[in-house]
Amino acid sequence: MTHKWGMAVDLDRCTGCGACVTACHAENNIPTVGPEQAARGRAMHWIRVERYYEGEFPDVSVKFRPVMCQQCDAAPCEPVCPTYASHHTAEGLNAQVYNRCIGTRYCANACPYNVRYFDFFNPQWPRPLHLQFNPDVSVREVGVMEKCTFCVQRINAAEIAAKADKRELKDGELQPACAQSCPAKALVFGDLNDPESAVSRLSKSPRGAKLLEDLGTKPAVTYLSRQTQA
Amino acid sequence: MAVYALYDTGESAQRAVNALRTTGIADADIAVISSEPMEDYEFSAINHRTLIWYIASAGGFVGLAFATWLTRMTEVAWPLQTGNMPIVAWWPNLIVMFELTMLGGILSAVATLIVTGGLGRKVPELYDPDVTNGKILVGVEQPRDTAAVERALRSIPGGEFKTV
Amino acid sequence: MNHPSHEQMTADLLRPLQRTSWRFYLLVAFLGSIVLMGLCTWAYQMYNGFGVSGINNPVYWAFYITNFVFWIGISHAGTLISAILRLVNAGWRRPVTRCAEVITAFALMIGAMFPIIHLGRPWLFFWLMPYPNQRLLWPNFRSPLVWDFFAISTYLTGSVLFLFLPMIPDFALIRDRAPKGLRRRIYGALALGWRGTTKQWHRLESAMQIMAVAIIPVAVSVHTIVSFDFSMAPVPMWHSTMFGPYFVAGAIFSGIAGLIIAMAALRRFLHLEAYLHPVHFENLGKLLLMMSLLWAYFVFAERLTTWFGNDTAEMNVFYVTQRGSFSPLYWTMVVCNFVVPFTILALKKLRTIGGCVIASFGVCVGMWLERFLIVVPSLSHKYLPYAWGHYRPRPVEIMITIATFAAMTLLYTLFSKFVPIIAIWELKAGDHPSPELSAAGQHEHRLGETHA
Repeated sequence: MTHKWGMAVDLDRCTGCGACVTACHAENNIPTVGPEQAARGRAMHWIRVERYYEGEFPDVSVKFRPVMCQQCDAAPCEPVCPTYASHHTAEGLNAQVYNRCIGTRYCANACPYNVRYFDFFNPQWPRPLHLQFNPDVSVREVGVMEKCTFCVQRINAAEIAAKADKRELKDGELQPACAQSCPAKALVFGDLNDPESAVSRLSKSPRGAKLLEDLGTKPAVTYLSRQTQA
Repeated sequence: MAVYALYDTGESAQRAVNALRTTGIADADIAVISSEPMEDYEFSAINHRTLIWYIASAGGFVGLAFATWLTRMTEVAWPLQTGNMPIVAWWPNLIVMFELTMLGGILSAVATLIVTGGLGRKVPELYDPDVTNGKILVGVEQPRDTAAVERALRSIPGGEFKTV
Repeated sequence: MNHPSHEQMTADLLRPLQRTSWRFYLLVAFLGSIVLMGLCTWAYQMYNGFGVSGINNPVYWAFYITNFVFWIGISHAGTLISAILRLVNAGWRRPVTRCAEVITAFALMIGAMFPIIHLGRPWLFFWLMPYPNQRLLWPNFRSPLVWDFFAISTYLTGSVLFLFLPMIPDFALIRDRAPKGLRRRIYGALALGWRGTTKQWHRLESAMQIMAVAIIPVAVSVHTIVSFDFSMAPVPMWHSTMFGPYFVAGAIFSGIAGLIIAMAALRRFLHLEAYLHPVHFENLGKLLLMMSLLWAYFVFAERLTTWFGNDTAEMNVFYVTQRGSFSPLYWTMVVCNFVVPFTILALKKLRTIGGCVIASFGVCVGMWLERFLIVVPSLSHKYLPYAWGHYRPRPVEIMITIATFAAMTLLYTLFSKFVPIIAIWELKAGDHPSPELSAAGQHEHRLGETHA
């Protein structure tokens, strides 16, 4: 049975710690751009923790929301890429082919979630971080777009291993780096085509909603809203 | 061997053309060369029948067919997955089809001009640089009866008779 | 104003080709150095990475795309004047057509550079062309950028041919007047052996008619497709169904302004007072006024619909443009595009050549700002407030922008040195109107004369 990968983000559990961001950087060979470039808006956090303040001091409350590529079923970034660098896979992922990207950045403009990032310079890692690349993930050169892939390298590796063992993938066996490293277990990843999987059950939760749903992008990520104080 | 005369005004050129016609020379053989188109005279209608509009339309159809084939063929050439918008999408294809239709029409019109106007040929043809000074050349390129042509051309006053 | 004789016309219009002053060399050197600096800046950007520009997340398009849309817009001058006026047999077009067509050709070439300049990997721009390769890498015909490629290629080919074909008889004229040597050989080659037989004139006129008929829908489609770059993306205040006509109207608007400036400069520096009369500028000024009103109408319709709809994301962009950080630019644009042109061009006393030029400069500034204000505020304020950003141009972008204005001026100056800027044969042909046009009440207006 074909998988359809999806995620559920429980905003009640998210503490805004940022472990997912760090793990994503480590897993996917994402460079840090330095404080100067980050101040100019060039930071490349494939998953980012959005932070919203509500209320006036001293009654301020902070809301955290981790946002990554929503792997939309009706992705607006796909039809606009002139070279098919942004395209869909059979498993419901929006794939980015770095070698086809010529850097028009149209996909980034079309993405309503602003989750696509551009390599403004050739990536650099301060020593000794240059020694800890993940060999399963390519390093992107200047001028191409990149974004969250739901750790497709892990998906592929798990699927290949399961096929070799002639068995089905178990729910929870495969996790992207962000879900794996979340201490509050706020990020749940799995197969939406499997009605028994954790992510399928969470997606049907009454607390669940999609981000910017009215735009018609059909994202694969469900956000479970925070419980308010009784 | 060509026989021609250079006239100063359109009227004398028109009278010369009429004189040549009375000697039995066909319109298609009468060469009238000027430095600008003179549509207020009847002689500018010589050799005006052209298929260029049909050729341009045909070129447009060729462009349309090519664009339809190109878009459809490339879109199904590789089994590429797409989400939501199908890969063979007619609305966008229409845009490319429109552009290549117009391009086909334009290029075939220009090609027809070059071919039927005899542009780009290296063979020397009847011409006199004095035409650029405002003179109008009326003549016959390969006349059968040179004397008759000469008589007709000389009969109109104000012309400068020449042979090549 | 006395109608110049044909000999006088030829002498006047060939004079720039025959006599060159030190001022020409100085101008070319000055402009050439700016263009060279621009090219070096682009090389610097390619070598060091696109990060040297001011682009960031979320404002991924800014100056370069603004320039792209601006120059493609300017290129609509030639088509409107040349093709439309040609089709309706307006005689006052005769001295104006080539000036206009040259603007189109060069503005298109410059505008078409910008999609390449703004690429992250510009050396791979040719992947937009559908050519067979073993990677099965075909372009995505659903992408507005591929539509851009086809539209601009078609329009550029059409415009260059539309410009070149009527130059052939003038090349023949120069060939015949030139003494033996390099000049005669080059112009002779360019003239393609043109003689001026009735057959050739008729074919030329037919080909020009066909191209005029074809180039008008192409021009409309080009700027519509450029507008589709924006309206196809779900970005607040981009996803508007009105963008197609809005952009075309804006393009024609800026194109006429560019044409007025070019014509005024030519009239002044090449001493063409006998050919470009105040009435030409008056007529173009009236067209500019009409386009200013049309532009204002589109802006009003767009903004009223947005404001009435009160969509949260759209209203953010709406207010940041009108009241927020972009408001100085916004109100400058309104003044330059509407208030100033309307005041100058609506009053006959002010609708002089000088007045039209001032209004046109205002329009050029205003339309550049308008393109900027379409691109940047929307991108900087999309749907998720955490992802909002701001944009500031960097020296790289400013230098390249200035270099393109210098390049346009340079190309235009060089062109007017080597080719007569007014089509000599077309001007002379105005004295020989076709009998169909001479029917009662259909007299051509030659050089702006009114018939009694």
